[in-house]
Amino acid sequence: MDIAYQGEHLLPGKLGQFFVVLALGASLLSFISYYFAAKQDVEKNDNSWLRLGRIGFWLNTVSILGIAACLFHIIYNHYFEYHYAWSYTSLSLPVYYIVSAFWNGQEGGFLLWMFWQAVLGNILIWKTRSWERPVMTTVALSQLVLATMVLGINIGSVHVGSSPFLLLRDSGMEAPIFQNADYLSYIKDGKGMNPSLQNYWMVIHPPTLFLGFAAMVVPFAFAIAGLWQRRYKEWVQQAIPYALFACMILGTGIIMGAFWAYESLNFGGFWAWDPVENASVFPWLMLVAGLHVLIVFKNSGHAYFTATFLVLISFVLVWYSSFLARSGILGESSVHAFTDLGMFWHLVLGILIFLLIPVYLLISRWSELPISKKDEETYSREFWMFVGSVFLGLSCFQLIAFTSVPVWNAIFGTKLAPPTDQVKFYNIIQSCFAIIITLLTGVTQFLKYKKTDITRFLITSGVYFGFSALVTALAVFITGVNKMPTLYILLMLGSVYSVVANGKVLADALKGKFKLAGSAVAHIGFGLLLIGALIAAGTQKVISENHTGEQYSAEFAKEEDPRENILLYKNQPVQMGDYSVTFTGDTIEGLDHFFNIHYKRMGKDGKVTEDFILRPKVTSNNNGTGMSSEPDTKHYLLHDLYTHVTMTNVLTTEKKEDDGHTEETDDSKNYDPAVAHEVAIGDTITYREGFIVLKGLNKEAKVQSIPLNEGDIAVGAQLEVHTHGKTYQAEPVYLIKGRNVFDFAKKIEDAGLKLQFAKILPDKGKIEINVFQQPESKKKFIVLKAIKFPYINFLWAGTIIMVIGFLMSIFRRNKELKVR
Amino acid sequence: MKKSSIFGIIIIAIAIAVIISTYSSSSTYGTFNDARETESELHVVGHLNKEKELVYDATRDANYFSFYMKDNKGQECKVVFAGTKPQDFERSEQIVLTGQMRGNEFHASKILMKCPSKYTEDKLNVTEVSAKKSASL
Repeated sequence: MDIAYQGEHLLPGKLGQFFVVLALGASLLSFISYYFAAKQDVEKNDNSWLRLGRIGFWLNTVSILGIAACLFHIIYNHYFEYHYAWSYTSLSLPVYYIVSAFWNGQEGGFLLWMFWQAVLGNILIWKTRSWERPVMTTVALSQLVLATMVLGINIGSVHVGSSPFLLLRDSGMEAPIFQNADYLSYIKDGKGMNPSLQNYWMVIHPPTLFLGFAAMVVPFAFAIAGLWQRRYKEWVQQAIPYALFACMILGTGIIMGAFWAYESLNFGGFWAWDPVENASVFPWLMLVAGLHVLIVFKNSGHAYFTATFLVLISFVLVWYSSFLARSGILGESSVHAFTDLGMFWHLVLGILIFLLIPVYLLISRWSELPISKKDEETYSREFWMFVGSVFLGLSCFQLIAFTSVPVWNAIFGTKLAPPTDQVKFYNIIQSCFAIIITLLTGVTQFLKYKKTDITRFLITSGVYFGFSALVTALAVFITGVNKMPTLYILLMLGSVYSVVANGKVLADALKGKFKLAGSAVAHIGFGLLLIGALIAAGTQKVISENHTGEQYSAEFAKEEDPRENILLYKNQPVQMGDYSVTFTGDTIEGLDHFFNIHYKRMGKDGKVTEDFILRPKVTSNNNGTGMSSEPDTKHYLLHDLYTHVTMTNVLTTEKKEDDGHTEETDDSKNYDPAVAHEVAIGDTITYREGFIVLKGLNKEAKVQSIPLNEGDIAVGAQLEVHTHGKTYQAEPVYLIKGRNVFDFAKKIEDAGLKLQFAKILPDKGKIEINVFQQPESKKKFIVLKAIKFPYINFLWAGTIIMVIGFLMSIFRRNKELKVR
Repeated sequence: MKKSSIFGIIIIAIAIAVIISTYSSSSTYGTFNDARETESELHVVGHLNKEKELVYDATRDANYFSFYMKDNKGQECKVVFAGTKPQDFERSEQIVLTGQMRGNEFHASKILMKCPSKYTEDKLNVTEVSAKKSASL
């Protein structure tokens, strides 16, 4: 049945889909041409294949830009006939998040990856000269495989890839509205972006991460080219700067993710060992290990196979981690896996392509590989660098083996579950590896390539070790790490040693050997990063301790006391750790609902020494189906105070449909029954949460919208309410108009009070005031959790220092290339 | 014997140790019945019984949340969690609990829930409803 649908904007989608197919075709052309160009005899000086390969790649680049432009056009103009726009945006989404909507879906992620790979490919075409043909063959192949992922076309009965230009009515939904030609007029708005993604970190974290993933292809392509073209040794030096770049960017992307989680997610930390998080670390660990072995090989000629293997496997792991995150296999073991797009086998195929090519090349070239027959010196830098790299690889192996439990379950039909305390498990095992690795990053600094004077080495490394032990002992007691298991103290020692030993190298470098400083700086950064992570995660303290609470059962009360969430009624201060904390109010900005939490810290003399407001927020997406809570953090130099709202009655997920109807007319059910008080001027009424003073009577009270005639009497009772250290004024009015008596009660929302001037008792010289109090459950409250993270700035500072170190190394290795 | 071979053997030994530790420290997915029989913590997969009461009253105790869950064998059990009610809990279609049995209650230390994803039938109904709504306006 054909329906002539109305109001659809099909052009950008058709155009976009055309570009998708063009990108695929162009990358295929580029791959084939480069392949034949690489097979040619270089002496022949025939550039026709090469030229064709370049044209293909440029065409591919242009198509990707075209795809991006079309998709952006669709999202920006809210064309909800497209599934992508409908799923990830809504009319109320702020413009700056439109950008992050672009990579909200998996298709967008692939696009981003293709985009960066295209950029890098163009740089390679420009820079690599004699390596261009074989290297670009691999890059073009990678572009080709990625292009199939976003194809979204049926070939035979198989649906290949998932296109971002899928129409809503074609997305497989069986909704009757698609029978209407003008169904679009019923679709008023998109589903909107997941509120936890509405964060500026989501604007920069994914592009960085995907640039990192995309950059991993370059060292891989060099390694493949080296094997393929039998230029076994030459590729190593070429690949080092690119490997450094990939490690730098991917590392930054990962830490940005951690920072995003810490700043705006509510799991209360920066790392949770979630499978998706782990997956992004695999390639990084392997390539960092590979990088070190590349340098070992370059300087000593040893460990050729290990270097090649690590570089090759790191790119296979990029694909494996995409598979884990996108195939839906993680199922119930991950909080934030993508949904399954039915691309399971497609992704498996992706892994296999990039796994089988290196395996074939390694096997066919095995006998020719320059594997050294000599044994390394025990006291040489290359040997211990090699050992350290292998341990990095092992730590990655453990992560993979464990994160892949759902994969093993799928393959072997087992039913293993992750350990019950997953975080602790990972922390222990990974700490063991980290201790060895950090110690080695320190020790190797005192060793030289080839051969080292043993006595001198033992003395210097020993002296620095002793010094580090002292620093560690001091640091451990200051930060309270000494209460943690010995394992973590050892890790602290290893990290401090790494910082100290590399600090020495840096100090020496400042005196002259400056070109060595890059690695020293990166190691210092890595050491600080570990120190920060260790202290912050190990000694973090929940300060919103809760010892109160009505107990539901005695059994329950015994466990886990104190509890971690604390209840704050509006305007009622609560003591929490050193702070007096008050929930003072809430404000709404768009979809964000901010809660003002007033922190006050008193000195011993009772004076306020610190006074600030934190504004954690709760964001709901517009259809009222999702809420997400975003913390706010007070940053100090040496620690952070993290606050997040876990529950509130201020806003609910239910749609507020009867708003505005029942208000005013009958709100008595919101209050406890009235308590009547007879008071004279100057008298005090006490109530549950404070007291009220009758200051005086205002004989000329006015009531809005009711004009007073001659003989009418309007009296206002001037009341002053004192509660929780605050004072409010209220003036309920008593009105006699003609023969009728009215009273106009006054509400003080903040105090949860309603005051009614009920009667005048002239014979007693008193008046009657009715006091309505809100019951506890009707009062506005929030439940919050506050955590103190000590020394977390080491983690972020360490990351920045590490990135600087990587940058310095890139410049150094690049220079070495030019000198040759 | 070459030093590198010795080193290789050590590496292989560690790798095997890692694999064994992976296998031995992993727990199992079980049912409430399994939980009754064991002292240790385990994972239970199931879904929320939406007909029975869900208790969370912050004004009484901000850290007490209880509900009834049916495990995959259809057995029902009361679950208690020392914390706040997770957002959108009622909408969950699958729950994975980590914890252990205390008397007749299952005390969860962790709750992982899966909400209906974008591509399942559930969401379609929502679409339909909201589409009708805007049509009637």
